[in-house]
Amino acid sequence: MSAATSRWFAVGVGTAARRALAERGGLAFTLTFYAVIVVVITALWRAAAESGGGTVAGYDATALTWYILASEAATVALNIRMIEVVGDDIASGAVATEMLRPASVLGVRMAAEIGRALPRLAGCAAVGVVVGATTVGAVPSAAGLALSVPALVLAIAANLLAQHAFAAAAFWVRDARSTWFLYQKLVFILGGMLLPLETLPGWLHGVASALPFMAMAYVPGRLASGHVEAQLLVVQAAWIAVLAGVAATAFAAGERRVQAVGG
Amino acid sequence: MRAALATLRAAMAEAWANPGAFWTQVIAMAVNDVAWVAFWLLFFDRAGEVRGWDSSRVLLLFAVLTTSAGLVLGLLANARSVGTLAANGGLDALLALPVPPLAHLLVRRIDTANVGDLVFGVALFLVTGGPTPARLGIYVGGVLAASVLLTGFPLMTGSLAFFVGRGEAGDFGLHSILLLAAYPADIFTGAPKLILYTVVPAAFVAGVPSTLVDDPDPRTALALLGVAAAFGVAGWATFTLGLRRYTSGAVWTRA
Repeated sequence: MSAATSRWFAVGVGTAARRALAERGGLAFTLTFYAVIVVVITALWRAAAESGGGTVAGYDATALTWYILASEAATVALNIRMIEVVGDDIASGAVATEMLRPASVLGVRMAAEIGRALPRLAGCAAVGVVVGATTVGAVPSAAGLALSVPALVLAIAANLLAQHAFAAAAFWVRDARSTWFLYQKLVFILGGMLLPLETLPGWLHGVASALPFMAMAYVPGRLASGHVEAQLLVVQAAWIAVLAGVAATAFAAGERRVQAVGG
Repeated sequence: MRAALATLRAAMAEAWANPGAFWTQVIAMAVNDVAWVAFWLLFFDRAGEVRGWDSSRVLLLFAVLTTSAGLVLGLLANARSVGTLAANGGLDALLALPVPPLAHLLVRRIDTANVGDLVFGVALFLVTGGPTPARLGIYVGGVLAASVLLTGFPLMTGSLAFFVGRGEAGDFGLHSILLLAAYPADIFTGAPKLILYTVVPAAFVAGVPSTLVDDPDPRTALALLGVAAAFGVAGWATFTLGLRRYTSGAVWTRA
């Protein structure tokens, strides 16, 4: 990335972050929704641990709680229907105006979405710490929690890139709206948002570990639950490189096909 | 009533205008629901029975939830949009018509994707719910009561926009009650459990009706009917009172 590219990317992130902070209603909605959802799902897993003699797939109630707090923060901070939004912009031809800028369409969109997600992510993390501290007490490992901070940022980057890669299908099929349902469920289950991958049956655990969705929720959850496995950050970085390549290739090919009518 | 039925027929014709898109969205939502079933099966495979709930009970809960949510969010899709319409002044076209505004508003639009929930919920009950005439009757009654509740609650929270000028409360109310209704209330204890049976009555949306299918009890059934009626009336009253404060936004097409 050249210095000029880095500069406009940073400006895009900063502008979008300030805009997200100014939208206090939306921010409050996200944080309240996050609080409700983590209270529910952590209660479910604690009840499961209690019924299972104290642990589920090697996670105790405290580890499961911190796992869910992190995995949910990594996904709730994003616009869950972004595939639909990007797909609509492509299908309607609105993306054509973005192609007039002397910058990559994908790059500008990524900067805006990362900027929008960061304040929400920070807010969710703060709420998560409060929920964790009041329900199960201290974090299982301070080092794991510290590692989960960069993992959360890498998780949203991977998720945003994958959503753009999915949404790029709209360049060819015109209506990619319904795919967000399916994508979301892949992150929920194979990404480990609702449950640690270790709870899946062996063959499915193997499949999920080999897919990029694990970089979007499982990795920050695993680290926050007390497993100090720094190599997971490298795995995330590798998936980001792959997903960036796929999304950039799809957008480059798709932009050559855009047909816009009217202005 | 005749006008509402005619409007519903028109909304159905509109939704069916593009059969390909209709079926794509219905199938996408059904696949989405299958993923939730997969989650619960995986969860109970690991956790075993949790506070009296196992996979068969949760699938019954999920069948009631998807059926009632499909009825309300699919066939009465505007129930979730009242807050936005009120805050943005988007009810003008509605008020110019010689029909009861609330009934017309509720049946005016169909959300095709959520019709997939309705289809899935019925299919799930027939496949996994052990349908007998008695169980089917309780399931249908429970779904109808839950639908009244699921209409009344977001209508009530959404209609607060008439008074406070912002529409987010409706969305949040709907998301909260749907999210909380998807889990057995018995996983909670203390104050959170009390909230699920009172302020945000999510337990009555799916947990209570599905328990009635397995274990019929007249007192529980009466409680369900009472709560559904109370929130139905509260939704209607809040909308009716709020409409008197409505301010036009010169937006003619959204309702």
